[in-house]
Amino acid sequence: MMNDMAGECRVDLVDLSDTGAALSTARLMAKEAGFEETDQYLIATAVSELATNIIRYAGRGAVNIRIIQDDERTGLEVIAQDSGPGIEDIEQAMQDNYSTGNSLGLGLPGVKRIMDEFTIESRVGQGTTCTARKWRR
Amino acid sequence: MAIKKKSMASSMNDELATRVLDQIPTPVFAVDMDMKLIFINQQGRTLLGKESKDALGHPCYSLFHSQHCETAECRMKTAMASGEPCTARNEAKIGDRVVPIEYTAAPLTDKNGKVVGGLEYILDITERVRDEKRLREQSRTIQEISTPAISLWEGIVVLPVLGVVDSLRAKQMMNAMLTKIKETAAKTIILDIQGVAAVDTAVANHLIKITKATKLMGCRCIISGISPAVAETLVQLGIDLGDVATNSSLRDALGDAFTFMNLEVKKAK
Repeated sequence: MMNDMAGECRVDLVDLSDTGAALSTARLMAKEAGFEETDQYLIATAVSELATNIIRYAGRGAVNIRIIQDDERTGLEVIAQDSGPGIEDIEQAMQDNYSTGNSLGLGLPGVKRIMDEFTIESRVGQGTTCTARKWRR
Repeated sequence: MAIKKKSMASSMNDELATRVLDQIPTPVFAVDMDMKLIFINQQGRTLLGKESKDALGHPCYSLFHSQHCETAECRMKTAMASGEPCTARNEAKIGDRVVPIEYTAAPLTDKNGKVVGGLEYILDITERVRDEKRLREQSRTIQEISTPAISLWEGIVVLPVLGVVDSLRAKQMMNAMLTKIKETAAKTIILDIQGVAAVDTAVANHLIKITKATKLMGCRCIISGISPAVAETLVQLGIDLGDVATNSSLRDALGDAFTFMNLEVKKAK
């Protein structure tokens, strides 16, 4: 299920229980990247959020997590990808308390608040890709 | 002379092709447009326990009796109609044996590309299915043993929550909690989430629902074990726990519960 490469991991999401695997992988990777405990927890939560969304709305997909580096910073990049129904109105999905499912509707905006960078691309009928990055403070 | 040579070469190729197909360690067969068997390799014959002469010309559904046979689920028909290969899980019934299989069906075309039938190969996935079943049973066992509701004091129930909370688990927690409240007439319950892997919005939603349900049963609910990391996560996610009482540790929560119940812990003289 998990594919280990140097500083990169992929977790396939097929069942709700796989979100647990995504979560612990994210936490380990965040630790490896040198994030402090609170940040490890925040990142793991954001990944869990994205993974739960995939299972709930697309049924299946995958989360890719890798350690990234630019000139002076180290960070973690999370790419959550599915080939599900897509999101019709991204702006609406990014609003607090909006949900088409029976949930709190804080997931995506919450992920955006937790991570430093967040982009979402979605095509109706083709799928959704969320890319999120967090840099070490 | 040239013609003879060519036919010899082609019969050599046919023989080689048959030998290759016979030695593929998985059943392979082909049918015509009426689903009648026109080829089956050695492994397929072994699976059926039949010789070629007893299988060829018979419709495949009369040999395999699978769940998909003669239904809209049949991927062979789908592949023949769409011209695209199809894979699915299925169960074949051969004699008295039921074999879990995964099969891939593809259209069979003539040299002009016209679909003249279909071909299929079958993988016996008995072991995979058995492993999956064992895995499901194990995770159910883990879930069952991981939601203990403990009567800590007269009127106080503690539910320590560890690991990953999903919908199924939340439902079990809710059940364990409500049953215990009824059994023990508890007035205070403490939900200790120190060991939860992550409190995301889904988990928070479950926790809020559990506290609401316990309130309806006339019970006060305290969520304890809110670490600095959890607190920051909840704030970042924008989750409002509203009037749910929270504590950073189980110890504080227990202290609050005692106060609420007018109990005092004293050192023995």
